[in-house]
Amino acid sequence: MSLEERITEARARLEPLVESIEQPAPDRIDATIPADKLLDVASALIKDGWSYLTTITGLDLGVEAGEMAFLYHFSAGALLVTLRVHVPRSEPIIPSVCGIIPTATLYERELMEMFGVTITGTPNTERLFLPEDWPAGVYPLRKDFDPSQPEIVVQKDAAE
Amino acid sequence: MAETENNNLLEEIIDGITSWSRINSPWVVHFNSGSCNGCDIEILATLTPRYDVERFGVRLEGSPRHADVLICTGPVTRQQRERLQRIYEQMPEPRFVVAVGTCAISGGVFRDSYAVCNGIDSVIPVDVYVPGCPPRPEAVIDGIVKLLTSLKQAKEEQVA
Amino acid sequence: MNNGNGNKIANKFVVPIGPQHPALKEPEHFEFTVDGETVIDATARLGYAHRGIEKTAESRTFVQTLYMMERVCGICSHVHATAFSLCVEKLAEVEAPPRAQAIRVLVAELERIHSHLLWLGVGAHEAGFDALFMYSWRDREVVMDILEALTGNRVNYSANVLGGVKCDVTDAIRDQILTGIDYLEERTHHYYDVVTTDAAFLQRTRGVGTMTKEQAMRLGVVGPTARGSGVEQDLRVDAPYAAYDIFRVNRVVEQGGDLEARFIVRVKELFESYRIIREVLDNLPEGELTARMPRRIKEGEAITRVEAPRGELFYYVRSNGTDMPDRVKVRTPTIPNMASVLHLAIGHQLADVPMILAGIDPCFSCNDRSVRLKSAGGDDVWTWEKLRKYGIDYYND
Repeated sequence: MSLEERITEARARLEPLVESIEQPAPDRIDATIPADKLLDVASALIKDGWSYLTTITGLDLGVEAGEMAFLYHFSAGALLVTLRVHVPRSEPIIPSVCGIIPTATLYERELMEMFGVTITGTPNTERLFLPEDWPAGVYPLRKDFDPSQPEIVVQKDAAE
Repeated sequence: MAETENNNLLEEIIDGITSWSRINSPWVVHFNSGSCNGCDIEILATLTPRYDVERFGVRLEGSPRHADVLICTGPVTRQQRERLQRIYEQMPEPRFVVAVGTCAISGGVFRDSYAVCNGIDSVIPVDVYVPGCPPRPEAVIDGIVKLLTSLKQAKEEQVA
Repeated sequence: MNNGNGNKIANKFVVPIGPQHPALKEPEHFEFTVDGETVIDATARLGYAHRGIEKTAESRTFVQTLYMMERVCGICSHVHATAFSLCVEKLAEVEAPPRAQAIRVLVAELERIHSHLLWLGVGAHEAGFDALFMYSWRDREVVMDILEALTGNRVNYSANVLGGVKCDVTDAIRDQILTGIDYLEERTHHYYDVVTTDAAFLQRTRGVGTMTKEQAMRLGVVGPTARGSGVEQDLRVDAPYAAYDIFRVNRVVEQGGDLEARFIVRVKELFESYRIIREVLDNLPEGELTARMPRRIKEGEAITRVEAPRGELFYYVRSNGTDMPDRVKVRTPTIPNMASVLHLAIGHQLADVPMILAGIDPCFSCNDRSVRLKSAGGDDVWTWEKLRKYGIDYYND
């Protein structure tokens, strides 16, 4: 499939389900969707193995904006289709896609520990990268993360 | 009385032999405290035919309980901090530490990240620093040889 | 040879990656639940090398971030830097000149060669074939010398700058590369013979860790791991970047789906890399090595996917008009492949696990984690080394 064919197919799969589709780059298609549509749209994209979930990027849009965004990137040959889900920062909740994409568990674990998002139905809530003794409620990739807070400061000077 | 004297002398001799053979043929244990593997593959290369570190009598061993020298890479991630401490504690005295690579010396490009301790000597005392990103195998061997030479010199000064 | 406890060790040395000590209490990184010899569940905790890179990038300039991204992985440093550079160039709407893009391809293929030879040696060691390890790493020194001559460093070559490259190909370097490639190509024929005909090697790889094409696609594996199962996927072909639209790559795909197929794919990819390098050197465009880049990068988002030696490497960069990135997201190929391996291990013999893991060519620091085994009899903690030897002994008996 050429890039043009990929784009046509992407639009065909998305148009019945989403409000608007953007093309921010020649090889990228974006669609902003509400969290409750995530599973339906993701299913449409991976049907028949046309694309696969490459990764999920978390974005903290900031305390002022009051929102977080989660970008689900699907690789379809030369084309990258991204589903964008916005959630309020005060109560970030998204549904798990592990029911249809079991290997997404590693991505979801990373999002939970880095952003503090709740992912309903995710099979494994253990930390992926952060150590056991990392304090609860502290999310490094949030914009208001303070690395100087005492709970996480670790000795950095030469040992005695 | 004579027996005790003889025992002390014997101990001294055995002590001398053990230290000397350690200096001539150190058992080295390797620890990666969270490096990018750049340093580790250059350390591994010292075992291969072109560099052949074993001709200097250096042996790479599995267990810290039998090791004289701990060769460390990485900036010391939080996850590895305690492990590093424990390995060092498991080594019998006299024990020596070689920090290989810029990250092991100062944290390198990751310095001051929330996730790292800024180098080996923030956790355990270091005897030899081998700079580089990564240091080439010759530099690693040079570091070990310098350690051995300084031990020999210390030994000679002690005897003199 | 004894290890001090009077036990014979089958190998001459221990590959010195990561900590090795059986009795230490630590968070288990791999957890396998076994029923007798068979794995019935598998999970992993990573984070051993978590350095907080994505967060740190938010307080570094784009140029500083480039240096940091090179060091996400010392084995595939160049593709990381290339992907990041391409993202920033997209944001700044700057195109690196053709000679620079060609040199990016040249270094990328040299890196692929070093990485595949490295893996061949480590994979051989995992199976107990230390002679093959020594030979492949000795030959690998040829490409290390080339990379050093071209870029100034054996590892972490730093060939990229934002806007292009900072090393150039002289006639002397060109000759050194061609001579080296000729030698390596001859040696690679020998490696191909070993991985396809050596009986002891095949015992550990043929029919082991088999993944069907459908499974591979469903699990989302990437790179040689996927191509060994018939998945026709290679970003250099599917979504060419740098100069891969000019220097075309042939996908190397095998249908076997087992470990043997994965070994064959990587060895055959070496031949393909030699061919590409010769083509690049024959047709290197004249011109500049860099394009001017602004210090402040205008607001936007850019995504680049590149074919690292292990598979698809994904970079997302978001800028906010300053000289520091707003967000950098990196997804290395080992993550989806690791997820697949955990799924795949289920139903296999425990003794096959070390080789199955080696088959995805993980950053080999992952290979020395401690392993928890859960069985009807209770919990037990092994070192990776113990698991590796278990596999070797299982097949030697």
